[in-house]
This record gives sequence, structure tokens and C-alpha cells, in this order.
Amino acid sequence: MEALEMFTSDRNADVYTEELKLNLGPQHPSTHGVLRVELAMDGEIITDSWCDIGYLHRCAEKIGENVTYLQFTPYTDRMDYLASMNNNLAWSLTVEKLLDVEAPERAQWIRALVAELNRIASHLIAFGTYGIDLGANTPFFYAFRERESIMQLLEKISGARMLYNFIRPGGVANDIDDAWMDEVSAFCDDFEKRWVEYNTLLTDNFVFIQRTANIGILTKELALSNGCTGPVLRASGVKWDLRRDVPYLEPYDECEFDIPVGEGTHGTLGDCWDRYWVRMREMIESVRIIRQCIEKIPPGAHMEKSMVKMYKTPLKPPPGEAYVRCENPRGELGFYVVSEGGNSPIRCRTRAPSFCNLSVLDKLLPGTMLGDAVATIGSLDIVLGEVDR
Amino acid sequence: MNEAGLHAKLGAAGIDGIGELDTSAKDPFVVVEADALVAVMTFLRDDPDCAMEMLHLVTATEREACIELAYHLCSYQHHHSFVVKVICPRPEGGNHDTWHPEVPSVAGVFDAADWHEREQWDLLGVVFAGHPDPRRILLPEEWIGHPLRKDFVYPSFLGDVPLELDATPMYERGPDWTPPSSEPRPAGEPLIQPPSPPSDRPHAGGQAPAKDEAPADAADTGKEG
Repeated sequence: MEALEMFTSDRNADVYTEELKLNLGPQHPSTHGVLRVELAMDGEIITDSWCDIGYLHRCAEKIGENVTYLQFTPYTDRMDYLASMNNNLAWSLTVEKLLDVEAPERAQWIRALVAELNRIASHLIAFGTYGIDLGANTPFFYAFRERESIMQLLEKISGARMLYNFIRPGGVANDIDDAWMDEVSAFCDDFEKRWVEYNTLLTDNFVFIQRTANIGILTKELALSNGCTGPVLRASGVKWDLRRDVPYLEPYDECEFDIPVGEGTHGTLGDCWDRYWVRMREMIESVRIIRQCIEKIPPGAHMEKSMVKMYKTPLKPPPGEAYVRCENPRGELGFYVVSEGGNSPIRCRTRAPSFCNLSVLDKLLPGTMLGDAVATIGSLDIVLGEVDR
Repeated sequence: MNEAGLHAKLGAAGIDGIGELDTSAKDPFVVVEADALVAVMTFLRDDPDCAMEMLHLVTATEREACIELAYHLCSYQHHHSFVVKVICPRPEGGNHDTWHPEVPSVAGVFDAADWHEREQWDLLGVVFAGHPDPRRILLPEEWIGHPLRKDFVYPSFLGDVPLELDATPMYERGPDWTPPSSEPRPAGEPLIQPPSPPSDRPHAGGQAPAKDEAPADAADTGKEG
């Protein structure tokens, strides 16, 4: 609000400036999809903002109530389409909890491995597009080069480039072999070198720091109260990661990895630069987990035997309800499923991390400049497919 | 602290209308009276032993006999989570048109509830009394009905736009083609139905319809069996 006061106090009382309503989106490239933000502007300063979402609403929850448990897995792909593996994982864990089944050990390690690969791919998009938002075109091409490698790796095991439908209730669709894991190792070696390049491109760039440090400051209290999770919450200084605190897969219990939190390196704790830097460091932590997965992955079955039999008829979990949350690249994805014993659930509620992270935007924008609104939206890293479902 | 400990703590807080802990569920939950909800939420947030900093999810579930609301809370300090439920029994013959259960809003306790409650109103028609901004969130303001209710009837019109799915491909539709079940728009009616109820949002573009010239009942054309 400081900027607002500075501008308004100097204003000549005779000069009347009319409030301008500015419509940002829904087809604006910097809104990362079809988000519309209505801004009330006083000159260049935003005085109020209202998010308008729902342009990509497909009512996935209604679809969930009309298809079987197994048929809903591909729909979860299409929520956060940049992190399909993680969505499949959360859905599979929910159905497994309802059925009281646990995936075999090897399947759990494969799940962690592919989920972390997908996390890197997702953060690469966040990194690349954030550069574009702020006028740096080059990082985008570098980020997409590495993302292409990950998509090709995942295509080899699942057959799809983006919407995998690979992790399923009871295990994973296909087993992985040593040759594939060698390729993943080679990618990791390569990626660590490239990651250093990214930092020289964007992280320490003077203009980039000027555009992001001290901008869009999200305090810890605001983040907690609004239900922000994932990198957005950690950048505000809360050291909370479900992978460490509530390990939902065996590898997360056994692997060593750090949880990056924001430190306010170039400005205030919880600013855009902190959110960006938490994501960058998470990529390296994911590489660490992937390496340990490749090293420790045990032999065995990749799909629970009893589930294979169950797949011949629609799954029928006993009446009950289950809530499972998973650490997605964008935050905590939760599925709350209520079963009454039928072929499909009677309620299939999704807690989308982007939805909760976006709800804080209206509180961050007032008092900032219009150009900073783009930096703030980009730093929240939303996927509208997930916000609207 | 586990759920039993949290429930004991809650029971000792002196709030009326707290039920027993249901431990048979996969995530044990407690059912509270709607009137006690805000007090329970405030206690769970502020008590240092509970310290539920985050409201994770607000869900309304329609069952045969009731609509039940589930509030998932979690604490980062103590690494525990808790589920609070409110049950709204279905009145005789209550359907999606006539029955909109009402519970107090907890948006004053947790900011996160704001959007979650708007979504539950939008999709399930649960009224959250005292909500600061009770608008629809995902669907357009002029939408009629709440699609996640079991007896929801798919509309055939949104304003003037026919929504009826027709299997006839675009290239085979002649100039006289009309959607199979659509009725022609009565002459003199506005092309786009004004929102109902009228939005009192000051910045919403266009003129909100005045109270006395209530919008022509879009429900008649909007609902089709």
C-alpha cells in the first residue's frame, strides 16, 4: 500500500482521476490459461481486484459420480495436466484406502520415481513461463528442451506424452526395466549441469530480481489462513512437505532429501523471488530422490495380485469415505471420496491446490502496480484446468 | 495428538452440541450441531494443543436422508488432522428446487472457507449464512440449479444459447435446423436473461435489474426433462 499512498498524497486535489476498470484475461497469455481478473485501477496502481474463474469448468466431480472408480483415473490426468502422474497417484491412493489395499513395494518405488520426474517437468514449465511473463524469452526454450527429455522418458513406459494414466489403483500399469533407469540416470546427470545454466540465465539476473524481489509478499499468516500449500506456502517460511511429514509412499520415508523454504534472500520473506527459488531448488531435491529410487528399487510385482482379479468387474469399495492428500508440484492435492457400495462413488470431491493458492490473489494485488500483477500471478503457478476442474 | 485426544479436548471446551467420535470411519470424525460449528472451529484453531491452522477442505455430500458437510482440518505444528461434520436432515419431499440447507459460514474463522463455501453453494445449493460474498464461483451467475444434486435436471438453455446435445453433425444442419427440444424464444424477451437473483456486485458490468421488474422466469425455458 506504500506505493499507493506515495502516489495519492502527491496528487493535486484539483485533478480528478477517474477509476478505471481493467479486464485482465481470460485470453491473456500471462494468466496461464483462462483466468479473468477484474482490476480497479487508479492510474498505474491497482486498488482492488476480483478473480473470475470457471471458464474451464467441466464438473469433473459430477463425472466422477457417473463413472466407475477405474474410469475416473484418466479424468484426473486432465485436472492438473502438467502433473498427471501426481494426480493419478493421489486418486489411486484414495481408492486403495477405500478398498484397504496397498500397492506392492516395487510399485511404490516406481510411483515415487515417476512422480518426481513429473514434478521436475512441471516446475520447468513454471520456470520457463515465468521468464516469458517478465520479458525473458530465452529460459523458456531451455526449459522445454529438458521437459521434452522427461516426456520422452515417460512416453517409453506409459505410451503417452502428457496424460499418462500410468499409476492405477493397486500399482502401476507397466513395469520398468534397467535400460530405462539408465536413461533416467543419464538425464539426471545432464539436468544438474543444465540447472546451473538456468541460474545464470534467470535466477541471478539483475532485471529479474528487480521485477520479483519485494513484489507480491505473502505473509505466513495469510498463506496459512487461505489454505495455500506447496511451494507457495514454503516460500513464506513454513517448512511443511507431506512427503516428509506424512509420508504416503515408502520411498519418501527412506530417501534423504531437503525441503527448501523461502529465506527472503533478495527482499522480503514470501515475495515472488522466494516462490521462484523454492521451485528451482525443489527440482534438485527431486533429482536426489530419483537417484536414490534408482539405487534402492526392489524387485517384485508392479501390480497387486488381488487387484488384477478385481479389475475384471467394476471395483466396489465397501461403504465408507476416504480423504487422501498428496504433495503435488503445486501443493496438496486431496481427494475425498464417499462410497455407498456401488460401482461409482456418490461424492468425488477434489481439493485442488491451485484453487486454494489462487484464492489469495485478490489479497495480494491491491496496492501494487499493474506490471507486478503479472509477476504475482506467474509466481503462484496456477493451472486453470485444476482450478476449474 | 490423535483424534480421540482432540475429541476429548473439544468435549472439555464447554461447547454445546458436540457429538460422539465415530471411530469406525477411516478418518474418524465428530458430528456437531450447526449452531456450534463456528465455536468449534474457533476453538480448534485457537487452542494451543489443537492448533489447526489450516482448513483443508469443505465438502457437502448429498445422501438419501441428508446433506452432510465435512470440514477437514490439519495442524502443521502438531502434524495431526481432524474431521468435523454437520448433518442437515432432508425435509419431507425436499428436492434440489425447494430445499437449500443452511449452515453458518466459517469464512470468518478461516479465509480458505470463502471459496470452498462458494463452490459448495454453486454446485450443491448449500446456503452458508453470513458468508461475505455469496455468489456462484464456477458457473455463470445466470445458471439455474445446482448440478451436483442427485435430482438436478440438465438445462436445455443458458440464456438464449441452446445446450441440448444433438447428434446431428454441424455440416448436416441445414439453415432451418433447431435443437430438437428447443422452443422458440418469445418475442420481446431479452436475448440474455438477467442474472437471478440480481447480482449486487458493484463492479459487475451492466445494469443490475431493478427489484420490481424481476427477471422473466428463465426457469421455464431453462428446465426440460
